[in-house]
Formats: sequence, C-alpha cells, structure tokens
Amino acid sequence: MSTAARPPALRLGQQDLKCRASCGYYGTPQNDGLCSKCFRDRNDKQRKMLKAGDMQPILSGSSSHSHSHASVSAGGSSDRRSPQHFQVRETPKKQVDKEPDTSTLQKKKFTAVLQKTLQAGAQKIAQQRGYVPDPTESQFVKQLQKLRIPDDGKRKLKSEIQRLDSEIRKYINSNSSKNIDELSDAVQNTYTKVADIVHNDPRFEIATNEDRESAIDFFEKVVMTQNHKFLFSPYFTTDEESDMKVQKRIRQLSWITSKHLDCSIDEVNAEARDLVYSAISELVGIDSYYSPQEKLQCTVRCCRHIFELLKRATGGPASADDFLPALIFVVLKANPVRLHSNINFVTRFTNASRVMSGEGGYYFTNLCSAIAFIENLNGESLGISKEEFGALMSGQQPFSSPWESALMACESLHLISENMKQMERLQKKNGDISSGIAAFEKELIEFQREVTERVDTVMAKAPLTLLPIKTPAFLIGQARAQLLQELHEGEAGHYQANVLSGAHSLTVHTGMVKASIPAEESGLALKDTSISSIGRLSPLPNLQQPDNLFASPIFNYAAFDAVSLLEEPSSGGSGDVLMLGAELQGGLTNINYDFDLSDQSGENSTAEEAKLNLDEFDPLAQSSAPAPAVEPETSLLDTTMDSLIDSDVPGSCVSLPSPLKPEVANYRGFSNFEIPSISCNTGDFSSLGHDTGPTEGHK
Amino acid sequence: MATTPRSGGAGSGTAQRPNGTSQNKSCQFKLVLLGESAVGKSSLVLRFVKGQFHEYQESTIGAAFLTQTICIEDTVVKFEIWDTAGQERYHSLAPMYYRGAQAAIVVYDIQNQDSFQRAKTWVKELHKQASPNIVIALAGNKADLSNIRVVEFDEAKQYAEENALLFMETSAKTGMNVNDIFLAIAKKLPKNDGANNQGSSIRPNGNETNRPTNNCCK
Repeated sequence: MSTAARPPALRLGQQDLKCRASCGYYGTPQNDGLCSKCFRDRNDKQRKMLKAGDMQPILSGSSSHSHSHASVSAGGSSDRRSPQHFQVRETPKKQVDKEPDTSTLQKKKFTAVLQKTLQAGAQKIAQQRGYVPDPTESQFVKQLQKLRIPDDGKRKLKSEIQRLDSEIRKYINSNSSKNIDELSDAVQNTYTKVADIVHNDPRFEIATNEDRESAIDFFEKVVMTQNHKFLFSPYFTTDEESDMKVQKRIRQLSWITSKHLDCSIDEVNAEARDLVYSAISELVGIDSYYSPQEKLQCTVRCCRHIFELLKRATGGPASADDFLPALIFVVLKANPVRLHSNINFVTRFTNASRVMSGEGGYYFTNLCSAIAFIENLNGESLGISKEEFGALMSGQQPFSSPWESALMACESLHLISENMKQMERLQKKNGDISSGIAAFEKELIEFQREVTERVDTVMAKAPLTLLPIKTPAFLIGQARAQLLQELHEGEAGHYQANVLSGAHSLTVHTGMVKASIPAEESGLALKDTSISSIGRLSPLPNLQQPDNLFASPIFNYAAFDAVSLLEEPSSGGSGDVLMLGAELQGGLTNINYDFDLSDQSGENSTAEEAKLNLDEFDPLAQSSAPAPAVEPETSLLDTTMDSLIDSDVPGSCVSLPSPLKPEVANYRGFSNFEIPSISCNTGDFSSLGHDTGPTEGHK
Repeated sequence: MATTPRSGGAGSGTAQRPNGTSQNKSCQFKLVLLGESAVGKSSLVLRFVKGQFHEYQESTIGAAFLTQTICIEDTVVKFEIWDTAGQERYHSLAPMYYRGAQAAIVVYDIQNQDSFQRAKTWVKELHKQASPNIVIALAGNKADLSNIRVVEFDEAKQYAEENALLFMETSAKTGMNVNDIFLAIAKKLPKNDGANNQGSSIRPNGNETNRPTNNCCK
C-alpha cells in the first residue's frame, strides 16, 4: 500500500520474462516476475516479517524494490509495472469509493479506514447471504446430492466447501494487506487436502475414481463460483491494469496479419472466417463463466475451432507449429475483455493439475503463451524491421489488414453482392418475360397465319359443292335397281336389284368399267324389254356381298324410294312397262332430289354448277358411251335401245341441271376406269329421264 | 505455504498430483515435444498415437495435444503429449509448456544440422529450467533418409551419452523406433511416487539408456 513511495518503473524488456531474483529460471507475471521457488521463499519471508511487526511494508518499501510484500503489487513483470504503481491511487474502480487518497504514506491510517469499510461491506454481504439463499447454492446442493459418493463423503465435502468458503471470505475481509498469491496458495493447499481426503479418506471408499474426480471438481466449482466476485480480479491485484494494457496493445497491433505470424489462416476465405468467428466468440465467452473449469472448457472449445480451421487449411491434423500462430491471431482479432483477469483467475484458483496437464491445460498454456507473445512481440518476432514495427505501432505508417478491411467491407460487400444477385434475378426474370412475350407474339402471328392459311386451303380445297354429288350417285344406281326390282319386275325383285348393285360394286371395286357399263346398260335395256337379259347377268349375284356393305344406305332408303316411286307413278299415271321404266328413272330423280334436300345442299346452285361442269362430263360420257358401243352387246342395244342410248348422251347434256351433276367432279377425281360411270350414266340417264325421259326415253 | 502444486516447474510437482501416480499402477505422464519446426515432431506423435499401438486414443482434432496409453509390464502408462511450436520466435514461450512435464523428446532432423544445434539448445535449456527429474530423449527423425544424412549417428549418440539422454534415430514415415522411444521413456519414468524405480531389466534396445539413472542435472 505504500507503493507510492517508489518511482514507477517503465522499462520493458525481454529480460522481464526471467525471474527477477536472477536465479536463471523464468518468472511469471503471476509470481510478480519471480520464478515459483523464489516467489515462495519470498512469501515465507514476508509472512515472517509481517508477524514480526506491522511496519514491515514501509520498511521493505523504502529499502528495496524487490522481495518486499509491499512491492508485490508493484513488482510484477514490467508490462504491468506502471499501472501497478497507480493502481491504488487511481484505477481500480471497485476500490475508489473505499479508498481515499492513498498517494501519501499514512499507511496505518489508511488501512484502518479501509478495514472499516471493507468489514462493513463484507458484513452486509454476509447478512444478505445469510437470509437470502443464493439460487446457485440450491443448485449446488442438488448437484451435491447427485454426486455418486457416500453420504458421509458428501457431508465431508460440504463441510470442506464451507470451510474454504469462510476462509476465503475471512481473508478477503481481513484488514491485513492482501496478497493474491497467498490466497491462491491457501486455496491450492485446500485443493490438495481435499483431493487427499477424497482419495484416501474412508468416507469416500466406495466411490470410483471418476466419482472422486467429479467430487473434487465439484468442490472447486462450488467454491470458485461462490467466491468469484471476491477472487476474480480483486482490487488488490493489478489484473485490471493488465487487462487494460493488453487490450490497448492488441488494439495497437491491429495491423498484424496472418502473414506476419506465419500462420495459415486465410483471412478472406468465408469459411475460414466463420470458424475464426466461432473461435473468437468462444474466446470472448471465457469471461462469462464463473468457475475456472468452465473457463478452461471454453478455451478448449475455442482451440478446437482453430484446429478445425487449420485442418481444413492444411488438410491434416495441425501441429503446434501451426496452432500457436493461429491462436495468437485469434486472440489478436478477438481482443477479449478482462483477458489477464481471467487467465490469472484460472491460474490461481483452479486445481494446479488442471492447467498443468490435460487438454484444457494444454490449450490454456497455449493461450497464456499467446498472450505472453503478444505482450512481448517486436518487429523481429514478426519478421519486420524495427523501424517498420515502430511506425506501425505508432500509427504513422498506414496499413491495410485484410482482416479489418474484410470486416469493414464485409457488410457493404455483402449487401452489394446481395443486391447484385437480386438484380440479376430480376433481370433474368425480366428477360424471360420479354422473350416470352416475343415468343407469344410470334406464336400468335403464326397461329393467325396458320388459321387463315388453313381456312384458305380448306376453302380452296373444299368449296361447298362437292359433297352432295357423290351420295346421290350411288343411290341412283341402287335406287334404280330397287325400282327395277320392286316396281316393274316384281318377280325378279331383289334378285335383280342385287344383280344391279353387284354390277355396280363390281365396277367400283374391280374396275371392270367396260364390262360393267355395258352390262348395266344392257341390263337396263333388258330390264325394259325382257327378263332374259337379267338372266344372262345372273352369274353376277355372286357378288352380292359388296352390295350389302355398299348398299346399306340404300336399304335404309328403300322405303323412301318406294314412296317416291309410288308417288311418281301416281302422279305420272303411266301404266306402260316401259313407261314404268321411265317412271323408275323419274323415281330416281325424285330420290335424288330427296337426298339433295336431306343434304341441304342448294339444288339450284348445284344445278347451275352442273351446267358448268357439263362440258367436262360430256366427253367422258361420250367415252363411256363408245365403250359400250365397242362391246358386242351394244349392237343389240343399239338396235333395240337406240333411242335410249341416244337419249342418254344428249340427255346428259340437257338434263344436267339435276342434282346428278355433282358427279362430275367426282368423276374427274377418280381415274377414268374407275368412274362409277354406271351411276353417272344412269344418273345422267335418270336425270335425263327425269327431265325428258318420260316423254322421250321409252318411246 | 511451503509448496504449491502449481509450482511444478520448480521441482516437486509430480508427487503432489493427485491423479498422476497414486493409483494402482497407472500413471499419467506429461511429455513435451521440442524441436525446430518441420523436423517432424507432430508426425512422430501421430505415428505413435495413431499407429499400431494398442489402447484407446482420443479424438484427433489436431496433432498438438494427443494422448496415448501403453502398458509396460503391469503398469498402465498414459502419455499426454504436448507439442510446441518450433519456430524461433516462439522459443521463449517454451517454458510454459515444459513446466511440470515428466518427459521431453527433443527432435531434430538428421538431414539438418541446424535442427541438431537447436536440439542441443533445447536440451541445455531443459536441464537448466525444467523439472529436475525430467526424462529427456533425443530423437533423430527422418531416419528413412539416412543416405542423405547430415548429422552422423555417432555424433548424436555421443552427445546423448554425455548429456544422459535417451537417444534413437526414428522415422515417422516407416515407424522405425517410434514406439520404442516412447517405450524407453515410459520405462525410464518413475512409476510410483518414488523417483527412480525404473527396472533396467525391461529395456529392449536402449543400451545407452541404462546409464542415466541420474536423469536430472540441475
């Protein structure tokens, strides 16, 4: 407390790592820059001196810089020296209210004041604790019950916990000048004792080794959690100063890149950054835990992230050569709060074996090394010149660290890339839409064109005229045959009709135009004159089958025909057989008309068209006419039916107005031989008959 | 407040570790690996831990901290192997690692004279600063490339004898002597709280290791 008497020492050198007692060993900041042996010796000495008299601190303070209790707080490794000096005076916030101006020497006075305030505070705390059970306490009680150790052991453990608890508080509340290392030693000794009890005491006999370990862990955890507020960065240490210092230093070192550290972290790789972030968050999270164990576990998690990172970067399990630089990098980029406080808390108050061995111990050691490296690094250790290092540290030399720039640029770049992506998406969509529109437009035009084209072709292909003609053509033949059968030659009847239809079908299917035409012609002629001719044609009935297929509509119309035919005669009123034949033809024409009507094709138009087509038809008719003429039978026809034939040809010319005319087109469409010339002829004939036949045909 | 377990670096930490040596013939030893970078420290350990040696192994997330358990006679020896960064710039941090270590392997590359010199400085430093009972082994790694060696076997062996070190030339690649060197260390380590009870009978090939019962040198 009398540190103000000493001038601050601001030197900083590598020698500070060595024990200040110059025994050759390395000293540690936790031991005030002494190695552990010298440190212990000194502590012993101090204790003796304290016992000897109250004035020791002043004495030692004035006598020398080292090995005095009072100088403990100011001793430390060089990096803390200056803050330590001021610590009492200005910084520790916890202390400010309790401690008046300590810059001067009146130690006794001061301690008295401090003592009072501290005791008062402690009493308050104790009271609170007494009346309001801490929630963590009940938790611990539960955990204690869960421990798989004998009840006696639990009881013993609990009493030990309470004992250490009160010991710590007593120490904290005592009015003597405090040394955190004494406290640490006391706690460590208790740990050892407890471990000894747990391992050797008969009350723990049943427990397995693991249970014993967990009991020891539990002991530590409870005590440390309960007393965290007293033991973590206590006001009589320089921890807070160190925290500020290292934090400032890390801030100054923000220009360090992974290249400086020779480490394989890719600062701009997104995946690597993610892992670095996880490691950083674990590292920062160390501060949020109470017990040293948890802090160590947190360290382990942090380091595992780093290993994961290195594993991906190097492709194999990383060695310490890679790991330590990476950890240093992470510490530099994380700049965790209360770094030294945490480290010291763990070092002082966790079971020593925990930081000396085990995974947690290893990583914790690495963390300590990293911090030590950061605190002591210079240009040489980063592979840059002293001047450059100085310039960078002082901020004179501008720098660009990929990490920082990536950090800063990260957000905006992210936003930009997001927006770019969005734009791209929209543009693509837009393009899709416009191309779709174009395609649709094209399709529409195409469709329109196609429709018109098709309509045109259909219009061109299929003028209104075609259909009506063909049907009548068959019907004429059929109907005529039927008429022939039914009306005039009832005896022959169906037979003849079949013959006729058979002949007709024959002409259509076999193409025996020449044969069929004459046959029919002759048939017709014969029908008029005699049945014998039909008899001659008798072999044709064999071809009746086609008739059925072909004539089915005819049968349907048979009644019709009959009706019309029946009507005709009645109207015609002719009784002659030949007349009847004429009637038949007239009947046919009637039938044709009926069908025309049924087809709903305009009679008139067809008639007119027929006239136009007549010219075309004529030659064919003539050609078909001569064909029969060639036949031997024609001679007979000529002789007997001259008038008929004659009438036929001219009749076609004259009579065409009738619905028969459509035939012409069909006629043309078919090949010549195939022309259903029979029907045509007969049609013509019938039409002829219709117009003129009755008068002319059968005379 | 005479002794704290925490102060193992100064000497007597071993005996106080509650979980280290007290239980029935099962000991845990902290072994630290020292040596220049790229001499094959971690490959040596990986070979030892992931190789054909029995017992379990902990998940290998890195080669920096590994454990391996072996049996010697009726004693279960668990090695906890701490790798250190070999770069010169981290040299000054090493004491943090070997504090409290019961054994150390100093590795050099037989093709690299510098690494051998570095190894010598490590040995010196260990003798000076590490726990006095620490068992130090010198490993000349990459012995599979002995045709292009730079550091002669005899030279290294002589140095080892002078400094009371275990010495072997190893090859992490072929596995040569890898297990043997750990086995030799395990045998040399004190199995109980008593400091030196290693039986010289269980030493297969470490003829040079018979001597150094005086394995401390402070």
